Amino acid sequence: MSSVLIKNESRLGLKLVAPAVGIIGLLVIYPILFNLYLSFFDVQLNGNKTFVGLDNYTQLLGNPRYYHSVGVSVIYLIGTVIGTTVLGLAAAILMNQTFRFRNLARGLILLPYFAPVISVVFGWQFIFDPVNGIYNHVVVDVLNLTNERENLIGNPDSALFVVILFDIWKHFPIAYLLFLAKLQSVPKDLYEAAAIDGQNPWGRFWHVTLPELKFVIATVVLLRVIWNLNRFEDVYLLAPNVETLPIFTYYQAFAGIVDQGAAAAISVIQLLVLVGLIWLYVRKVLKW
Amino acid sequence: MMNKRTPLQSVILYTLVLALVIFCVFPFLQILSTSLKHPIDWGNPSLIPRILHLDAYKELLGLMPAKEIDVPASIQRLLDNPALSAEKKQMLLAKFSSGGDVFPFGRYMLNTFVISFITGICSTFLASLAAYAIARLRFPAQSLMANGVLFVYMVGGVLLMVPLYQMSVNVGLASSAGGTIFSLFLIYLIQTLPVAMYMLGNYFRTIPFSLEEAAMMDGCSRVEAFWRIIMPLSKPMLFTVFIYCFVIAWNEYLFASVFLKQYQDFHTLPLALQTLFTSKNAIWDRIMAASMLTLLPVIICFMLANRHLSGGLTDGGVKG
Amino acid sequence: MSSVILRNVNKSYGNLPIVKNLNLDVKDGEFVVLVGPSGCGKSTTLRMVAGLEDITQGDIQIGNKTINDLPPHKRNIAMVFQNYALYPHMSVRENIVFGLKKSGADADTIKNKLADVSEMLKLNEYLDRKPADLSGGQRQRVAMGRALARDADVYLFDEPLSNLDAKLRHHMRTEIARIQHQYNMTAIYVTHDQIEAMTLGDRVVVMRDGIVEQVGTPMDIYLQPTNTFVATFIGSPAMNLIEAKIEGEELVFDNYRLPATKIANVDMHSLRAHDSVLVGIRPDFFEDSTLSSPSDNLFEFNNIEVNLVENLGFDKEILFKLGGEDAKARLDLRSHVKRQEHISLSVDLNRVLLFDTSTQGMLLNAGEV
Repeated sequence: MSSVLIKNESRLGLKLVAPAVGIIGLLVIYPILFNLYLSFFDVQLNGNKTFVGLDNYTQLLGNPRYYHSVGVSVIYLIGTVIGTTVLGLAAAILMNQTFRFRNLARGLILLPYFAPVISVVFGWQFIFDPVNGIYNHVVVDVLNLTNERENLIGNPDSALFVVILFDIWKHFPIAYLLFLAKLQSVPKDLYEAAAIDGQNPWGRFWHVTLPELKFVIATVVLLRVIWNLNRFEDVYLLAPNVETLPIFTYYQAFAGIVDQGAAAAISVIQLLVLVGLIWLYVRKVLKW
Repeated sequence: MMNKRTPLQSVILYTLVLALVIFCVFPFLQILSTSLKHPIDWGNPSLIPRILHLDAYKELLGLMPAKEIDVPASIQRLLDNPALSAEKKQMLLAKFSSGGDVFPFGRYMLNTFVISFITGICSTFLASLAAYAIARLRFPAQSLMANGVLFVYMVGGVLLMVPLYQMSVNVGLASSAGGTIFSLFLIYLIQTLPVAMYMLGNYFRTIPFSLEEAAMMDGCSRVEAFWRIIMPLSKPMLFTVFIYCFVIAWNEYLFASVFLKQYQDFHTLPLALQTLFTSKNAIWDRIMAASMLTLLPVIICFMLANRHLSGGLTDGGVKG
Repeated sequence: MSSVILRNVNKSYGNLPIVKNLNLDVKDGEFVVLVGPSGCGKSTTLRMVAGLEDITQGDIQIGNKTINDLPPHKRNIAMVFQNYALYPHMSVRENIVFGLKKSGADADTIKNKLADVSEMLKLNEYLDRKPADLSGGQRQRVAMGRALARDADVYLFDEPLSNLDAKLRHHMRTEIARIQHQYNMTAIYVTHDQIEAMTLGDRVVVMRDGIVEQVGTPMDIYLQPTNTFVATFIGSPAMNLIEAKIEGEELVFDNYRLPATKIANVDMHSLRAHDSVLVGIRPDFFEDSTLSSPSDNLFEFNNIEVNLVENLGFDKEILFKLGGEDAKARLDLRSHVKRQEHISLSVDLNRVLLFDTSTQGMLLNAGEV
């Protein structure tokens, strides 16, 4: 038996992963468990704790604000997931054509994704600013759709839609990249065969492109749901009045009447949903 | 062969491309335009400023000539008093000059740069070790770790903000500026490690196994093969991953706001900008100029890494 | 240089055996070729010698030292990989001297070796290029150069020519043979190409399903294959195998009755124990009867209908039926047979082999068993 070589290899492997796994264990896995623990306590900012059993959960489930934020999150998720997927797909199909300045265009449409949230939210706020913004200028002064200038971001109901539009703008490039990579790998002869079979461009899209993209679409949708469930900065910095779940958690934990135990409880529930989604992603999408 | 486009199809194609590009770029143009506009020009819907107005940039970068300090007469009399030490006089003066209007942009930028740079280096280094092991070596719990990385990668920071904050309070790190910054660094490390491991792991898997085997035949141990062959070979990807981690840290707001709130000297740019915006000094040209200056390094990084980034992101499952 | 000894070597992945109880002695300075169809365990065997795969059971010795537990880099082995495995970020020069430098050779040695190797493999003008800027053949030569620059105990070749086109493969095959003789190196060479095996090996090891079917010199294996697998795997076109009934002292198929007594090395006593036997005739051993010189030991297959003639230049291959099976013969250019002609083919009975129908093993006379 020559297990020495195998043993050496596994020893080296463990040594190399140890630092990263240690840090992740200490700062991700442990906090997840610690969070569960905290959710049974009344927790102060300074670290003081009193055991309250399931109080945090019962209070949370009786809190209309919680259900409101769940509702807001659901609308936000539906809007952003559909928006980024559709726009990402459209952009990928467009950028897969050959035309002049294609490389420039491909680079430019990635910009929103890489820009720091903080450096673009003010631009968006300016666009929708009731006094100076171009949105009100176009809607009121140019198109005369309404007479009054509106503060779209000031009002939580309309702000939700601005936030959704912002998220689509910021994150469709990533969906676009995934789609484009797949489109580029679709063999050309498939299209040629379809063209010879008499399919028009729409038929080629429907019968060749879409079936090829099925798995990528599933990947994009699921990944969008997973990331956007946790999305904080994009929403909070643009319109802090749009209370999606992460924002609600943040307010519970760090603003006004601090209730970190309740925040922990929200996180526990959200994590369960997330684990379900990740499980779905790993089992159904990655295995394809 | 695909059919040649008809002129109508060309027009439609170019129109759609143009519309998409404008949609993507417009907010940036808006920011740039407003940052260059004089306040009287803000209501002007055109993107081109009537007068080029660079004051906001000058102010942020400390290029403005020091303002004449308006000192009340009573204080002036105090200052003229020879009995007062020079030190005291300075302090008195400082009280008036630092009166809220100064925004130490350079300092915030340096703070952000330092923490982002260190995060990028440490994360890329640790991730390359771990990713190599997971991609290439056989050891117990290897597949568990490979899947674990994916899982950890998807658990967002929001879910961890309470326990992480409580942990740093419990071990006493939250009570000093140094400890807070260290906590923040660790948090940035875990926010970037999984994605870095994922990207590098996928990259290492594309390197033919036989390269390491050749190196071992040439007399390298496994570790030497990693250092002398795999790492030099992966330089472009390592650089890309570094940039990616750097940008994540550069952009981070949530934890910076939770941890650094009380240590204004150590604010990072996102935090500083938000504070600037909500303070009474909120002036559009300044905010936009600050936005532009925050954006600039990211755009530069993006241009440097673009060649590998798109591929790396799609291979890496993609965060965002 | 050193000898390599494999003793009862086994390799399995989980419950799946890949190499079964393999024994092999490679003498100092010997060129041994492992050949077999894909999945036969030949590459795995090579990789166990290299230390790139661990040994499930058994021992491997290099220079009389057991090296089972020695990591690859301490075995002093040089290896040429199928995909060349050149370091893409290094120039040709750096690729070649990497191992030398690693072994701590001094600057003069490195310089001389580099000059030697690049001279021998005609790499002088490419030394500063990166592998990506080389053609397939050039890369292959660099891979060879990298191994040859080393002063290794054993040189391993893992299908080094399989990615080259036919012409280049032939050329490099000749080069490798020349270099091996010049350096007198101990080499183990893995290939699935029986021509490479025959032309390069001092000895050839034929493997199938993790088992060594036969070890011997190329001519041993060609003329005395131990079973039908070796007989048909080595030699192109493959040996014709025809089932024949045994009637007295004759082997009977179609209308032909071969006198068994005239076949070399056949023990009539053991032959009588069988009802039937597989008659093996290599296509090369057929002759156009009109051209063959009469001999006592010649058997004539007359009234053969030619189904197809493939002209290869000097040779032509003809296709016909024998014992109900497709059979092939290789005739030289003097023969002018045409499709659908009826001809006679003769065969020297000394060249005919007999195999057991059930065990597929060669039937030898009693003395040789």
